[in-house]
Amino acid sequence: MNILVIMIPLSILLLIGAGIAFFWAVEHDQFDDLDTPKLLPLLDDPAPKESAPAKVEREDSPQ
Amino acid sequence: MNAGTCWHCGEPLPADPPQAMVAGQARAVCCPGCRAAAEWIDKLGLADYYRLRSAAPPRAPDAQAAQRSAQTWARPELSRHVVRTLDAGHNEALLLVDGIRCAACVWLIERAIGAVAGVESVQVNAAARRARIVWNPAQTDLAAILATFARTGYAALPLDAAALDDARRREARAALKRLVVAGFGAMQAMMYASALYLGAFTAMDPATRDAMRWLGLLVATPVVFYSAQPFFAGALRALRARTLGMDVPVALAIALIYAASVVEALRGGGEVYFDSVSMFVFFLLAGRYLEMRARHRAGNLADAMARLVPAFADRLRPDASLERIGALELGIGDRVQVAQGERVPADGVLQSAACRVDESLLSGESAPVSKRRGDPLTGGSVVLEGPIIAQVMRVGADTALAGIAALVARAQSERPRLACAGERMAAGFVARVLALAAVCAIGWSLVDPSRALTATLAVLVVSCPCAFALAVPAALTRALSVLAAHGVFVVHTDAIENLALATHAVFDKTGTLTQPDLDVAEVDAADRESALSLAAALARGSHHPIAQALTRAAAGLPVATATDVRTVAGGGLEGRIDGRSFRLGQRAFAAAESDGEADDDAVILAEDGTVVAAFRLRERLRAGAGDALDALRADGVTVELASGDAQAKVAAVAQRLGIETWHARMSSADKLERLRALRMDGARVVAVGDGINDAPVLAGADVAVALASGAELAQATGDIVLDGAHLPMLAQARAIARETLGVLRQNQRWALAYNLAAVPFAALGFVPPWLAAIGMSTSSLVVILNALRIGRRVHESGPIPAAAHMRTAP
Repeated sequence: MNILVIMIPLSILLLIGAGIAFFWAVEHDQFDDLDTPKLLPLLDDPAPKESAPAKVEREDSPQ
Repeated sequence: MNAGTCWHCGEPLPADPPQAMVAGQARAVCCPGCRAAAEWIDKLGLADYYRLRSAAPPRAPDAQAAQRSAQTWARPELSRHVVRTLDAGHNEALLLVDGIRCAACVWLIERAIGAVAGVESVQVNAAARRARIVWNPAQTDLAAILATFARTGYAALPLDAAALDDARRREARAALKRLVVAGFGAMQAMMYASALYLGAFTAMDPATRDAMRWLGLLVATPVVFYSAQPFFAGALRALRARTLGMDVPVALAIALIYAASVVEALRGGGEVYFDSVSMFVFFLLAGRYLEMRARHRAGNLADAMARLVPAFADRLRPDASLERIGALELGIGDRVQVAQGERVPADGVLQSAACRVDESLLSGESAPVSKRRGDPLTGGSVVLEGPIIAQVMRVGADTALAGIAALVARAQSERPRLACAGERMAAGFVARVLALAAVCAIGWSLVDPSRALTATLAVLVVSCPCAFALAVPAALTRALSVLAAHGVFVVHTDAIENLALATHAVFDKTGTLTQPDLDVAEVDAADRESALSLAAALARGSHHPIAQALTRAAAGLPVATATDVRTVAGGGLEGRIDGRSFRLGQRAFAAAESDGEADDDAVILAEDGTVVAAFRLRERLRAGAGDALDALRADGVTVELASGDAQAKVAAVAQRLGIETWHARMSSADKLERLRALRMDGARVVAVGDGINDAPVLAGADVAVALASGAELAQATGDIVLDGAHLPMLAQARAIARETLGVLRQNQRWALAYNLAAVPFAALGFVPPWLAAIGMSTSSLVVILNALRIGRRVHESGPIPAAAHMRTAP
């Protein structure tokens, strides 16, 4: 049963970690809208036509 | 989208529809507004929207009018109220966006507005229909952003800057955090508690046992001091106000169980109940969280008012030129011009020629009302034939609209909110336990003072078992979630009890039992089909409800093409078909000689003054209205109809639905009076409505059911919001509510019986720890499993396609 001396504090640390992660997520808008984000990966996201070429140029210029 | 409907908004197409180029293909749309919106969306590279959406947006606003409204917001007198300066280079505003129907709308708005130069962030909340925009005032302004909304096809209204603090979002976040802390705590406490229960069988050594108790204390403490805070705060508020609200017994129970367990853990004797207290808090919070979500969905009174009252007015200067100002700036005696299709900005008197206005939102009367010079106009009603000129008579708090809002507030404050059955039981239980503990303490201090503390604690601890604490919250939480899954959102939990016990149901007519659009009931003509097809040819391009009914009725018939179609204000339509000239409208307009028939409701089609056909229209019943009423009646509920509409129309609908008691021409105050009379006779009344004029009635009923498709003001006063306007769900909801009440009673009886049996034995020392452990777990399990039964029967009787219904709705 001595293993409990390690396992229980470990589980409590994990719990606190999970709690902190969750609080962070709530504060960073992760739970404000649960409907839209699920759709986003399904989309191709073509950049607006006017600004698209500009972006490519910027990426190329350092080379 | 089907052929024959607009590619953008899904409305029927006119005879010669404009074409919009979307993704390289020509698509037929219904109006220039929709064409502009569709092409604009395509130009932004967002045409994916049409693939993603699950519901069509509303018809795009008229581009010119929308641009003009947007420009008005550039006036500093107006924008001052709605824009907040965050820091140099950042302004913020909160917009109420009409017409967000599905997640694809959110996607579209975020991208379309985000593409405006100078906009830094766009956050759209679909449930609240709000968008929060942050922009750089050096690069763009509010007017440009609003104009972009209009171009994309949405009408956006800036909200008062006070709303920016967004109490709702803070509340939702705090509630979620509390719920999750309680959930984590409850799981962990349960783990240590099961170790303790099992330890009772295997003679756990006292050191390990004490360690488990201390761990229980460790995880239950944040639950009690953080998660349960709202209950303590509520109890404190109630005590300060010298009332016993529902939070007092709950807070007392939490404090008692926790304090007794802490003392036991410190003393190292007896039992601890850290798992019970955490579970208790978790279930209560879960119930409140669901309630809060429903409340946020239903909206609030302030938002509802903001949408109703027109934001601007066109004031006539003395030199007859127009100046656009905020409606708040209007003064008594000002003369305003109201364009066709716009809302009257304040109560006033008509000064121009006769016109018709739609007051259905305010009075419940479905037919347009004719107004003559000098007649009063009500702020918020829609002008059907304009432009008109009106003189403002009352502004601000004196208007009829503000009067309705005040009536709502009063009815709401007058209604006694009964604590629900579960809370009453819990309060009684806590009182009895306290009395018992006091008796025990006094008794033992007389007999043997050294044992008084031990015995009192034993009574407290043994009589606060989880079964009792879980019996009510578990059942209510389950009921809330089952109802929500069926599209019934419960805003106030006491609605469940009242709905189950309701004896009367009072329905509104317009918009609740009937749909806003009309149906052709009868065609009085020699050749029915050709008459319909001629009428439809004329009516095709018009958005008037009668014209649309005729177009629908002629669907599937070959429709001729009309030319030179012209709308004649106050009369109807006229145009040429195959070289013959036709008129469609009221008898006085269409027929050359008025033969003085009494049948003035009929719509006449005439060729050169000779009557060809007479159409009689009737209101279209909402799908499932009949089923809903039958189910309620079969359940023993007396159904009544109370409407602001004309006698004949109410009678016709009552007769079609088999309603015996009906009242016509009722104002909001009359309806409220009728409700009071019913309640005086001991009835529990469900009121079902959707309009602004229903709001006071809803606020005064025992249970208010608002339709999610209805006015914001009605939803804000509803205890229950029906999604998708699916009326038969009401009867199902009542069945679920009754079941919940039954389960509640069973649970409480079980918990009471268990306590009555266990307390004396435990006090006398007859219950060994292992038996107490089994008893405790079993009784908790029994009440939770019992609560899970709620709603099973409804599932078995076939799914109610609330979501599917919404998708198929036009």
